Amino acid sequence: MEDYLNALPTFVHQIRKIREIIISNIVLVGQIPAPTFQERRRAECLVERLSEFNTDECVIDDYGNPVGVLRGTGKEKGAIFIVAHLDTFSKLEADHHYEVTDKIISGVGVSDNSAAVGVLASLPEIFKQLDLTFESDIVLVAPVQSLGKGNLRGIRRLLRAWPGPIRGAICLESVELGRLNYYSSAMIRGVINCSIAAEKQLGRHHTPNAILVINEVINAILGLRLPQKPRTQIVIGKISGGFNHGKIAYDAMIGFEIRSDSDEMVRELYSDIHDIVDGINKSFAVEIKLDRISNLNATLLQHNHPLVKCASRILRRLEVEAVCDPSETALSIFLQNGIPSITIGLTLGENFHQDGAMIEIEPMVKGIAQIPALLMAMDKGACDE
Amino acid sequence: MNEKWIDTNTFHHSEFKDIGRLVAAKNEKNLSISLCLPTLNEERTIAKEIVIMKSELMTRYPLLDEIVVIDSGSTDDTRKIARSYGVTVYQADDILPQMEKFKGKGENLWKALYVTRGDIIIYIDADIKNIHHRFAYGLLGPLLLGDRIRFTKAFYDRPIAIGQNKLRPTGGGRVTELVTRPLFSMFMPDMTQFLQPLSGEYAGYRSIFEKIPFHIGYGVETGMLIDIHRKWGLDVMAQVDLDRRVHKNQDTKALGRMAFVIIKTFLNRMETLERMRIQQQIHDEMIQYQLVRERLKPENYLLEQHERPPMIEIPEYRQKFTRTAAGAKVPL
Repeated sequence: MEDYLNALPTFVHQIRKIREIIISNIVLVGQIPAPTFQERRRAECLVERLSEFNTDECVIDDYGNPVGVLRGTGKEKGAIFIVAHLDTFSKLEADHHYEVTDKIISGVGVSDNSAAVGVLASLPEIFKQLDLTFESDIVLVAPVQSLGKGNLRGIRRLLRAWPGPIRGAICLESVELGRLNYYSSAMIRGVINCSIAAEKQLGRHHTPNAILVINEVINAILGLRLPQKPRTQIVIGKISGGFNHGKIAYDAMIGFEIRSDSDEMVRELYSDIHDIVDGINKSFAVEIKLDRISNLNATLLQHNHPLVKCASRILRRLEVEAVCDPSETALSIFLQNGIPSITIGLTLGENFHQDGAMIEIEPMVKGIAQIPALLMAMDKGACDE
Repeated sequence: MNEKWIDTNTFHHSEFKDIGRLVAAKNEKNLSISLCLPTLNEERTIAKEIVIMKSELMTRYPLLDEIVVIDSGSTDDTRKIARSYGVTVYQADDILPQMEKFKGKGENLWKALYVTRGDIIIYIDADIKNIHHRFAYGLLGPLLLGDRIRFTKAFYDRPIAIGQNKLRPTGGGRVTELVTRPLFSMFMPDMTQFLQPLSGEYAGYRSIFEKIPFHIGYGVETGMLIDIHRKWGLDVMAQVDLDRRVHKNQDTKALGRMAFVIIKTFLNRMETLERMRIQQQIHDEMIQYQLVRERLKPENYLLEQHERPPMIEIPEYRQKFTRTAAGAKVPL
């Protein structure tokens, strides 16, 4: 039963030997811009790369998800999915050229999630080098429309349309090595936009200032009482507004996220924020609007589920400390559908969503070694309940 | 003027994307191929070039037999990074050390002939931000799939990187349009069909490169084109569209110095070919002016012309290489 653990040193050694192929895939795929809703070119590149590496079936599905299937030897077995979201937060016009040194790869989007997509493209070659075949079909997919307003639509659609049983899934994130996610919080993300109507912009006294109005909204949100149990949090993570220092701001916005262990609590707090927005709308006579961007239900794979235990053992054998936090990724969609799944991180990095984003090359070798080990275990049923 | 050349000898890299076919042709002809990357402080780009070329054209497809970095004395981590990816790295000064030492890209390309072993040598600049293996297989395609072409040269769209995260979509090739093309139009109109005669990427048979002199600096491309044209004619040459190439921007004054060297190389060749007689000494100094505290001050740059003779004339080279029955050269 411990074959997959004993094989880890060989996996690490063999993967290090083909690191140039892996880095090439990260660079060649990652240098193609793929902001959410504009992932087509990167999807085509990924499918082409998978095809070049002799993946049995390669296709871009009706929703734009690039999918590759490595056919298994057992007809009866369900498929195992390996997933790395394709889209990035970076803009189309940003310079996507990557830099590589002997230690790091740096460039826009590399740590979220281009390195993981490059690794996904390399998996057929990695399995070949490791001389691994599986009874289950291995489905390699980089779902589109995962981030922000995409609201994980790509993976939702793919799972809805998938014709056969699915045994389990491994979701890949570029960083951080040691990450082991097996549950997700309930979550709603929203934006509140405030804009001052044109007729109020004519310079008369007491013109409303959109930034000050948004400030009122923030203060009201901060006044909401949050329970300690179920654990609940509101994060105001984005803000923008105004034109220049000396002008009254005609527009402003905030983006926020409500997270909780309870679906009900998230819904209630969203409703409270809705009331706050309505109230301020009336008192300031401005146009202020609340929009829901995305939402997820709380999902959970028990910490003693065989898949979680197996992933923990692998990390321990690799001498990497496991860090378990909730994750709002494709993981929650799999778990919602009753499919055992985990999210793992592949390497260490810095400046995830900023200029200067980078990942380290050497730790990635261990990070990648988790994948064949997990697949071996899952394929042999070690992760079935 | 041979106006048909541009139609018959211009290719697109996509015609050669079946790399398996190129490998088969290479094996059938019993050839070996060396990739040479000349460097000077290229720590930001060298690893990416090596990694992509090695993984795509050595590990996955055995098209290249070796990758060799020839460095002009980088003061950054270029050599260390290159070595970490398992390629052979030389300092140019360490090759043929008994000879007088020069610094320059052309010097590195010339010395690469001595240390590489390929029957075909491909030269690619090490400062390309959007490097892709098409830069190599595109240039090799015409050499491998036919028997006529012995030398290929790249052309491309050339956006230039201007600072962090910004690209200017047009530009580059300014020296070509303002200097080289006018000169070719006046004296060698056939050569105007090369869309980017100064491009830094080219490939050819050793039997060609070893028989021509190499200018040690910016004049290497101009001199090479003229010499190959003179010795073997236009028909052995081809140009390949490699699509897009993103590289570092150079300021106008630096381009001015580049133009100086290219004009000098051109005039030198015209004189050698007895197409022109220059009746005065041509100076080695480029004089540029800079405004310092409201006064214009001259800046003098010494841009000497140095040229290496054809490598075949170097006794050490002749000793190291011998001719096989097929005409290819292999190291002893």
